[in-house]
Amino acid sequence: MKMTSLPGFRRLLLTASVAAFSASAVEAETLSMWVRESAADPGKLMVDLWNTSHDNKIELTAIPDSQMITKLATSVQAGNAPDLVSFDLIYMPDFMKAGFLTDVTDQLNADPHYANHIQAYKDIATYEGKIYGVGFTPDVSVLAWNKDLFKAAGLDPEKGPQTIAEVVEDARKIRALGGDTYGFWFSGACPGCNIFVTSPMMVAAGSKMLPKNGTDDALTGDGVKTVLEALKTMWDEGMIPANAETDTGANFVSAFTTGKIGIAGTGGFLISLMAREHPDFNYGLTVLPGVEAGQVSAFVGGDVVAIPAKGKNEAAAREFLTWVLSDDAQLNGLAKNSILTTRTDLADNEYTKGNDKVLTTAKALSVGYVPWVFHFADMVNSDSSPWIGMLQQAIFDGDVDGAITDARAAMLEIAGR
Amino acid sequence: MTDAAAPLRRPRVRRGEYLAGAICVAVIAIMLWPLVMSAFASFKSPAEAASVPPTYLPHSFSFDNYREILTYHAGLFSYVWNSLSVAGLTILFCLALSVPAGYALARFPLPGKEVIFLILLASMMLPFQALLIPLYLLLNDLGLMASKPGLAVLHTILQLPFSIYLMRNSFEAIPKEMEEAAVVDGASSFFALRRIFLPLVAPGVVTVALFAFITSWNEFIGALILMNHEDSFTVPVMMTGVMTGNFGAINWGGLQASVIISILPCLIVYLLLQRYYISGLLSGAVK
Amino acid sequence: MVYVAPALLFVAVFVLWPLGHLIWLSFTAKSLMSGPDDAVAFVGFDNYARAFGDKNFWRAMTFTLTYTAYITPILLVLNLALALLVSKNTPLRRVTRTVVFLPVVIGLASSSLLWYWLFDQQVGLFNRLLVDMGVLSEPLVWFKKATTGQFAVIISVVWKVVGFGMILMVAGIQAVGNDVIEAAMIDGASAWKRVRRIIIPLAMRSIVLATLISAIGSMLAFDQFYLMSGGGPRGQTFTTVYWIYQSSFVRFELGYGAAQAVLLMIVITSGTAMQLWLSRKGQK
Repeated sequence: MKMTSLPGFRRLLLTASVAAFSASAVEAETLSMWVRESAADPGKLMVDLWNTSHDNKIELTAIPDSQMITKLATSVQAGNAPDLVSFDLIYMPDFMKAGFLTDVTDQLNADPHYANHIQAYKDIATYEGKIYGVGFTPDVSVLAWNKDLFKAAGLDPEKGPQTIAEVVEDARKIRALGGDTYGFWFSGACPGCNIFVTSPMMVAAGSKMLPKNGTDDALTGDGVKTVLEALKTMWDEGMIPANAETDTGANFVSAFTTGKIGIAGTGGFLISLMAREHPDFNYGLTVLPGVEAGQVSAFVGGDVVAIPAKGKNEAAAREFLTWVLSDDAQLNGLAKNSILTTRTDLADNEYTKGNDKVLTTAKALSVGYVPWVFHFADMVNSDSSPWIGMLQQAIFDGDVDGAITDARAAMLEIAGR
Repeated sequence: MTDAAAPLRRPRVRRGEYLAGAICVAVIAIMLWPLVMSAFASFKSPAEAASVPPTYLPHSFSFDNYREILTYHAGLFSYVWNSLSVAGLTILFCLALSVPAGYALARFPLPGKEVIFLILLASMMLPFQALLIPLYLLLNDLGLMASKPGLAVLHTILQLPFSIYLMRNSFEAIPKEMEEAAVVDGASSFFALRRIFLPLVAPGVVTVALFAFITSWNEFIGALILMNHEDSFTVPVMMTGVMTGNFGAINWGGLQASVIISILPCLIVYLLLQRYYISGLLSGAVK
Repeated sequence: MVYVAPALLFVAVFVLWPLGHLIWLSFTAKSLMSGPDDAVAFVGFDNYARAFGDKNFWRAMTFTLTYTAYITPILLVLNLALALLVSKNTPLRRVTRTVVFLPVVIGLASSSLLWYWLFDQQVGLFNRLLVDMGVLSEPLVWFKKATTGQFAVIISVVWKVVGFGMILMVAGIQAVGNDVIEAAMIDGASAWKRVRRIIIPLAMRSIVLATLISAIGSMLAFDQFYLMSGGGPRGQTFTTVYWIYQSSFVRFELGYGAAQAVLLMIVITSGTAMQLWLSRKGQK
């Protein structure tokens, strides 16, 4: 707190030698940091590591995901935002545009590690040529398959589906096992789950998803239709459990981990979850496929870390951003805890060696996309969004073309606001 | 349904009594069933809690769900302490405001009494969620942000109309003669309030306190938006964190344990104070 | 007056002032995503005009009214039936009263989550119970349809609040006094007649109060739908408050959300006034 009387001076020092500065802080400060609940575990690992080697300690507070935007927006308006915040990267454009975040362009451009930062994180944190944050705890979507069920259905348990058509075929064979074994799972009323695991298949099959403004392309290309029709086929033929239609995400992960689902989209987080809770589960991971073999994509998710505007401890917060990209944070904070690194030059490291699943997710991270749009909450994540409306109208009502047309119009309306 | 002739009357009444008794037992069973099931489920192992189809009685017995809550982020006791202290302040605020107001509204010929009463009840008809932002900015300007008194103020807003309504009726239910006696004795109105009326409206006071406690203990969104640090969060904020995971995944076992923990204090207070506050509610609500 | 002053001051500062702020917001285009120093555009009655043309707002309003129209009579009948059942002071009836009132002391969020679990198609015990009893052939996905979803919410809310109205009515019935009832019994009035002619009219005040409280509560319904149905399927179970929440915090349009809130307040206040007026007229 005492140091805030000299912000200009400190900033000057920082830009001059960011790395060297961290040790020379005159007086230790305590920084407050918010993290959204579902990224709190990896966030805590990182912060704990930082606290062991720095005088300025960080105090972490977990905020329930659904209230993060509200909480951050109100606190910025009232001028009592935390020193650091880690939130779903997808809200970056809204926050940057609103002027809620501190510009860290000069600092990051001077940072040699930033060049190796995963492109998707650089993109999502850049607005009008300025940079406002860095990727913090990454996640990425992949496709999981149950090897035991594949074997039981006479499929090659070591080879996951490579195309959307194969997903449908394999699911059909697994469903043929009968009983309460189903071929495929998706959470039919969970907008966030589906932008994460369903939209990449559309992108892999050649579609452009969300519009940046009222006149941009939205849901163009055949990918959207291909994927919706594949899902509709699986739904119509009963390859998907009935409760998928209303699942708002409660079973997004657990449907697969009960062992009764052949194939499901999921995230890299599954690896550590399985290791912890179902160490003997026999499953495989592959990159989300498109129409032809070799067409792949993924949704790059996870959290970015940024500094809310007018923070009281900006200088110390900036040190943390720099540290996040350091070898120490990447290897000992992320990789060591089986979390992906956000630097491409460290993707292959001592901790990932020989771990096929982690390498699959690392590959997904490098080919993945992240939509840079405003109003993501309204366009995609809300319970009444055009995105989830399209899936439901197409898959459960059977009107694929109408669903796409309606959703496109609604998305453009939101983007044009 | 005409009444039977006199000789037949006694057995019929008895039969009716048995029937009413049976209905009572059925009602008790229906009302308790969800709570009992939840309590059982909270002691299931996390795997059993998520098993399909579900089990009625736990096949496994484990404290895992509670252990998870106990050690969650700042630790259960921190959340419980915050909740209790905020609830304590809320009770204090509610009583400090509603007892005198109820007294005056019931006992003095105030000009525009009905209007005042309606204004005091107005906040009952407002959607609290819509007032959040204005309230947040106001509390921030008043320096009450992220403080327990600030949160208690928020909870008092929710609970005040009912408190005032109840206190007014409790005071009205006291016979006029009591007050006149006091006036004849030359007692001041404050003295009368303290010495004569307060003991008589004790059930009403307990009821106001209990409902203030329940409201404050359970309120979520205000507590989340107003408080800024993990170690100042209350139990409902913790609950939300425990049971939701990535993409809305639900930790069923954690949900059960959270529900039980959130219910338990309310239940204990209710059962202990039952006698007082049912009569408080009776005298307060009906007059 | 000194005694009312603190409460009035409190309400003025913490209710009326924010309410004024809310009304002011309703005439602006204020966004949740605007910075603290950004100028706020004054848009006059635009937000109100927009609300009148917004089919989502009307759908939410209609849904809320339907929900209120369903749950209020259900509660009224159950309240009264339970009150008649337990109004005598026998030990068993006292226990029943205690138990029925018990869920009232539980938070609405906790009870909604509890029932959300019971209704779950996979792990829900209510579904299992209905299947075991032969009512359902297989577990139902309750929130698949707006009708069953709404029904599920109503079951959970009735369970949670039925005790409150019951206690009020027990109070009303007990206030009628046993002598009046016994006198009627001696006169040979049938049970139904006793209820209809004597108990109901005399307990009118608590009946009106219980109805009013449950109706206002239903008009402001939020938690139960937010937690249980998430507004689905296809946004068919958004209540007005839920939609206001959605407008303000998901679509970031604070100004528009404020205008809808003001409209809802007008509906509730006029509804309440009308009900009070009718009941007063009925009593005279």
